[in-house]
Amino acid sequence: MFTQFITISILVSIVGCILYGRRLIKTEKVDAVFGNPERAKGGTHWIIVGSGAILLVWLYYSWDIAKGFYPKSANELCQVAKVNESLLGLKYQFPIEEREFKSTSIIKIENKNLQLITNEIQSSPDLNTQQKTILVGFVSKTKQLIPLLTNDNLVETDTKIKLKEMTEELRLLTANFKKKEYPYETDEERNERQRAVSEQGNWGITKVQSGTGSIENTIEVPLVPATSKGLKFDAAAKELEIISDKFFKLRNHNPQFKNSIKELKDKIKEYRSGLDDTGEVASTYAKDIVKIARRIEYASIYPPNALNEMQNAIIEFDNVQKSEQGGLRLVDMFLFPAGTIISSGTSCSEQGSGRWLPKPSDTLNKFILMSKPSVGYKNIPLLWIDMMDVSKIVGFILPDWIADILPGEYPIHTKDGVVEQNFKGKVLKVVTGDFKLFKIPVPYGHIWDSFLRVFLGLIFGILIGVPLGLFMGLNRFAKGFFDPLIELYRPVPPLAWAPLIISVLGIDNTGKVFLLFMVSLSIMIISARAGASGTQLSKIHAAHSLGASKKQILRYVIFPNSLPEILTGIRVAVGMCWGTLVAAEFLAGTTGIGFVENVAKKYFQYEVIWITIFIMGMLGLLFDVTLRKIIDKTIPWRGKG
Amino acid sequence: MRKILSFILGSILALNLTISVANSAAKEVRVAYFLEWPSPNLEDMQKKNFAKALGVPVKWTNFTNGGAMTDAMLAGDIDISYSQGLVPFINAVKSKAPIKLVDIAMEYGMGGTTCVTSNASGITKANATELEGKKVAVPLGTMAEYVFDESMKVVGADRKKMDIIQMDPEEGAAALVSGDVVMACLFGGNSIKAATAVGTRLLTVQEARDAGILGIDITSVTTKFMKENPGMLRTFIEVTHEANDRYRAGKSDMNSMSKASEMKVGDMKETLSGFKFLTPSETKQSMTKGNLDAFLKGMGTPRGNVDTSFLPL
Repeated sequence: MFTQFITISILVSIVGCILYGRRLIKTEKVDAVFGNPERAKGGTHWIIVGSGAILLVWLYYSWDIAKGFYPKSANELCQVAKVNESLLGLKYQFPIEEREFKSTSIIKIENKNLQLITNEIQSSPDLNTQQKTILVGFVSKTKQLIPLLTNDNLVETDTKIKLKEMTEELRLLTANFKKKEYPYETDEERNERQRAVSEQGNWGITKVQSGTGSIENTIEVPLVPATSKGLKFDAAAKELEIISDKFFKLRNHNPQFKNSIKELKDKIKEYRSGLDDTGEVASTYAKDIVKIARRIEYASIYPPNALNEMQNAIIEFDNVQKSEQGGLRLVDMFLFPAGTIISSGTSCSEQGSGRWLPKPSDTLNKFILMSKPSVGYKNIPLLWIDMMDVSKIVGFILPDWIADILPGEYPIHTKDGVVEQNFKGKVLKVVTGDFKLFKIPVPYGHIWDSFLRVFLGLIFGILIGVPLGLFMGLNRFAKGFFDPLIELYRPVPPLAWAPLIISVLGIDNTGKVFLLFMVSLSIMIISARAGASGTQLSKIHAAHSLGASKKQILRYVIFPNSLPEILTGIRVAVGMCWGTLVAAEFLAGTTGIGFVENVAKKYFQYEVIWITIFIMGMLGLLFDVTLRKIIDKTIPWRGKG
Repeated sequence: MRKILSFILGSILALNLTISVANSAAKEVRVAYFLEWPSPNLEDMQKKNFAKALGVPVKWTNFTNGGAMTDAMLAGDIDISYSQGLVPFINAVKSKAPIKLVDIAMEYGMGGTTCVTSNASGITKANATELEGKKVAVPLGTMAEYVFDESMKVVGADRKKMDIIQMDPEEGAAALVSGDVVMACLFGGNSIKAATAVGTRLLTVQEARDAGILGIDITSVTTKFMKENPGMLRTFIEVTHEANDRYRAGKSDMNSMSKASEMKVGDMKETLSGFKFLTPSETKQSMTKGNLDAFLKGMGTPRGNVDTSFLPL
């Protein structure tokens, strides 16, 4: 219902906005000539068209439109897929979708193989003439097996009858399939089926198990036919399966063929056992010949026209089933772009873009589910509040050695098994945070952890990079001393450090923050340096002649002048940090958006992967918008100096 | 306006076409396999015996993990995955991927996949419950996670109480060395060597075997290929089993195998000594009511994804 509404409203708004845009062009008085930036101003309606188009493409290629408008179509297509699956094996025997009979192509391949082996035998230096004659004799015997299978007159009556039976069965099925009441379901069967249908749920996310701490993959295409059309196909698929099994068990082995192949095998066996160690090459060739003979034996090879009737029956059925699909075929064609529902015996699944592009509705569902703090991902919520005692913060800030340097000893337990606290012990409790104070809420979870890492990496980068950059822009020594160092490390992609991080800095946040720090540092240095050296000399001279000290020039002239560069640098660094974060969290993860994506990949949880991509996009955007606001507020002189 | 509309329609058509073209198979058989994971049939791969037997060219592509094999099979780039790990296969069929298990490539004792505790932590099999509340490195979604789960059941520790860190084997070994984690579960000779330098196996190879922890690599195939070319699939499996027979009889060409798996002959022999290549009848036994069956059931795998009809019995 919701998807339908969204789809229609998107379509309506896109058409509306396009019409509005066109009318605007006609009615608007445009004084600006081409090339004047005035012409690019405004245009909210085009934003709506743009984002609407993205959403529409997503809805379309994830087959959510199909799900919204025809919720039963997946179930029906699953039944059709079952028929196609059963037909596939049969069809492949005939030139229906292939260019030639399977028999023809097998004969072609094996003839080629026989020719190859003959050539090899004849040119082999390890064989003597006698061996060559015998082996070539075997080859020609093998070759003679084929006509025994393709001769119409040799086909046994039994085989013919069986083929006829199968053809009749197919014809009967075709005739039945057209009937409305097929497959003649009894009331009992119908009740049974409807019970199964109500149990299996609908297309899309149906059940969620958080037993192992992860959100199990729940892409479900219901398997039991829910509609009468589906039931028809389901029943036909079962019948076809039986026919197809029968066909594959049937071999066109007439007595002459059986005798010949037995004779050939025995002869080769006899010949091989007669060979001594010197005849090993001959033995291998003989074995290869037997292999080819066995393949001919196993393959279903029939005379050229023996299967014509059956082929027609199959084509006839195929046409009938296609026409019986009716509107479903159009739905499949237009609403299931770039793929369709595929059946693989015990289950039906979406194959094509529907598989790796989750439906917006399912993604939203899963996102809401993951946002619940009790579910989260791997037992950790995405973003939630934890009540933390302030004592923990106190314990973190105060160093533990304060207790150690106090005079006296830590309390020792008494004879009665009681520990009596003394002053030193109490101090230890305070500095380690082992006491109770009031609690304050602190955020935690995957998003918070990722955010914190980026934030810390950025802050350290700014704290070190900006002063260093300014220094380098103003001082010959600093420029000369640090330049080779910075220039050497700057072009190295931050991920190049990744393999070392775990060995050097361990698996905790230190390593990840360090990686992000490396990213932001070089950017901050470069931008601060450019800002400092870009200050107009006249301004510095003016301040100087007004009697400003070095400190004052730095504080009131150079720093404000380089701020625009620095803040632009921060914006660039934020983007780079988000880019590196995912890779940093791939390293050794317990939390973080990158960790979630990495684990989801291993379990084929496409919804989760897309959710993480969206979250990262959103967080990056949020950072950027915040920074833009800060820039506009704090440095109104940007671009005007 | 008309231009815009025709452009949009054109691009939709083009996109649909390219995706469907990518899925249509060429007239060759495309097989996925692992480097540094030797098997007797690699000799046949090296000598192009598969192409001879199948009658069409066989293209071998090496992969680094079983999950990527599944991805490639679903994208229509691979028909047969040889020696895919069972855990990636199970993850794939749990997410309803249309692939089937048709043969067992090899069974191996868990010498090559194991959990190592650091000596500094003092944790052994006897006091393994101390792992609870500590950090352990596990490559999730691989055979090593399975070994981890099973080992924890053997020693009676609760996985839920541990701080499990997702780490690939090389990194897990590094973290164990630096003392960041007290236990690392890993696979691959080099990683285990690095880890056992500072630690000990939680369960010895023999203990793991006694507890029934064992690795199985399998041959999986796309349902499409299986339906379209049952003869070729049967031949592929037959040639593989012939190679296994040859190996059991000691007639394999080690040099050509080592070339194909890009290993030194000595290293390869050591790795091979931990593998068990089953005969067709043993394979069937394992698939229907033996180790493989138990494994699949234990992991809660959907039924109906195992097909024994292609074994050369």
